[in-house]
Amino acid sequence: MEALRVLWRHRALVVVLVRRELAARYRASLLGYFWSLLNPLMLLAVYAVVFTTVFKPRMAGAQPYALFLFAGLLPWLFFSGALLDAAVTLVDNGSLLAKVVCPAEIFPAVTVLSHLVHHILALPVLLVALAGCAAAGWHPFPWTIVLLPLALIPWLLTAGGLALAISALAVHFRDIRDLVANLLNLLFFGTPIIYTLHGIHSHVLWELLRLNPMTGLIRVYRSLAFGGYIAGPLEWVIAMGTGVIVWLAGAWLFGRLRDTLVEAV
Amino acid sequence: MKGRVRLDDVRKVYRRLAMRGRLQSLKGALLHGDLVRGLKANEGFVAVDGVSLDVAPGEAVALIGPNGSGKSTLLKLISGILKPTSGTVDVDGRVTALIELGAGFHPEITGRENVLINGMLLGLSRAEVETKLDEIIRFADIGEFIDQPVKTYSSGMFVRLGFAVSVAADPDILLIDEVLAVGDAAFTRRSLDRIARMRREGVTLIIVSHDLDLVGHLADRAVYLKQGRVVLEGLADTAAARYRSDVAGDEAGNEAASAAPVRVIEEGRRWGNGDVEILKVSFSSGGVAMRVIPSGADCTVHIAYKVNRPVTDFGFGLAWHRADGTSVAGHNTFLDGMEPVRLEGEGEMRCHYPVLDLAPGDYVIDAAIHAREGLAYDYWCQAARLRVTSAVEWPGVWAPDHRWETDRAVFSGEGTASPTR
Repeated sequence: MEALRVLWRHRALVVVLVRRELAARYRASLLGYFWSLLNPLMLLAVYAVVFTTVFKPRMAGAQPYALFLFAGLLPWLFFSGALLDAAVTLVDNGSLLAKVVCPAEIFPAVTVLSHLVHHILALPVLLVALAGCAAAGWHPFPWTIVLLPLALIPWLLTAGGLALAISALAVHFRDIRDLVANLLNLLFFGTPIIYTLHGIHSHVLWELLRLNPMTGLIRVYRSLAFGGYIAGPLEWVIAMGTGVIVWLAGAWLFGRLRDTLVEAV
Repeated sequence: MKGRVRLDDVRKVYRRLAMRGRLQSLKGALLHGDLVRGLKANEGFVAVDGVSLDVAPGEAVALIGPNGSGKSTLLKLISGILKPTSGTVDVDGRVTALIELGAGFHPEITGRENVLINGMLLGLSRAEVETKLDEIIRFADIGEFIDQPVKTYSSGMFVRLGFAVSVAADPDILLIDEVLAVGDAAFTRRSLDRIARMRREGVTLIIVSHDLDLVGHLADRAVYLKQGRVVLEGLADTAAARYRSDVAGDEAGNEAASAAPVRVIEEGRRWGNGDVEILKVSFSSGGVAMRVIPSGADCTVHIAYKVNRPVTDFGFGLAWHRADGTSVAGHNTFLDGMEPVRLEGEGEMRCHYPVLDLAPGDYVIDAAIHAREGLAYDYWCQAARLRVTSAVEWPGVWAPDHRWETDRAVFSGEGTASPTR
């Protein structure tokens, strides 16, 4: 709660820093903000070609597969990108932290929010692809996608909480970034992003995947962005609960470490 | 009250974890969950050790001392960047810390955007920064470069912009850590000018500097720190003299064991290595010993001394202050061009003032015998007091002989300018 209060008080600063993050990334690049659109577009194009001509996965509820995959990858890229950057954000901004009085919370928050902006900028690609597939009669347009902001709430909270924890720990243990990268790889395959739970035949594995909190998040998101239905209340509760618990835990850990950060960066 | 800074028994201990310590605590963190405990280890480097300090609003205080004495740490504690390990830091009002000019400027974005971000980091709102933008650009003197990425700036432009943003934040308390030395002469002059203006507006100033002349010029009071403790807190010139003496003593001690170490004779007031001792400081007027002298009369200061070890590098110095600490005058035999030859035995040095044109009030005098580079044989603050009297209560410290003149008869009679004379 403390972290949230600090962020709210400095919201204007957070907004300006997010804008700086985006501006600095695309400064001196030919296409500027267009990259935010182009990156996911290329990704989608590659998947579309590979999964319609090379492999033809036949998974129930995942057709057309390229679109299914893309709708799952978008939130995951937001999530993993934010966490990887969170591992370096405090160290990168060390000069500000050690020379100017400013609350450290804003840096992981800025990292997560700028990745959220990238994610939102990529959504038009998804919308166009969905509309294209609907026009061709391959997949009905999921009108539930208008509710997507709701599904982003647990994603934002989870990414935010983890970013707080990772950023603070990374100041003390610089190898956290490698650890995070590896854990994210593991988690990527442990979450039904490239497959659906229906395709799992081992009961033990199925239960394990159900226990993964990210499963709830991805299912809530994809039911709206691809499936065209609203996930059951239990799934929403699990997703929201995951977000709140992770946020509180991350903020708590960050609060415990806050006073040690400046000395260590 | 805005602008007050109060430190009470502040201690700051830096953790010093070796690589093994880090791994241990990572292991501990994973196995026993004692990450926080591990990070709060009490062993470590003591940077500030029990410092208490009270700075009144509008006062200018300098922190001086050798490297590693805790000056910068103290400044960061006051700014709130660091938290004390124990003790309390009480700061009232908006603080701006000039620790590194342009810290946090992002090289890829323009000066204008960087100014906005830095200003907001310093606590200004977006609108406030925008209204001050013109003033900032003018002070930084960078013209059209304001819309170029900061990475294209010269180092001079960089620090000018950093300074301009920092002081535009309208602080109640300004903390300066040795940043005025970074620019060229024109920049230093302009920033000093700006700081002087802020002082007049009542901004509290706390400055860390190795430039003792600057300290004497900017600060009313100085705190001399060594190894995290306060050695001496007093008038800026006094503390600077003590620091100079210690430095010169250390150097002499390193070169040869010729000079005895400087020791404290009376805490905060008197120190020296004892080669020469001041026995007594007294005043006389018209050849008669006096403690009260009328303004405009003649005055002689007598310094009686005894030499314990003959010295060839020596000078006598005097500093006059008002009882409230205001510096009045200072002179020494080096400045007056007198070449020392040899000092031994006992004797008396006299400094004669034909006309003591001081305003009435109580004056305090510091007397010193020291080597050219500052090593003190005997440095005695407030060695003697003198009361100056006059028939008219002239304000200020200077009551010079003077006369009003006019071509027209607008006054009756001649007046009684300089009535004591």
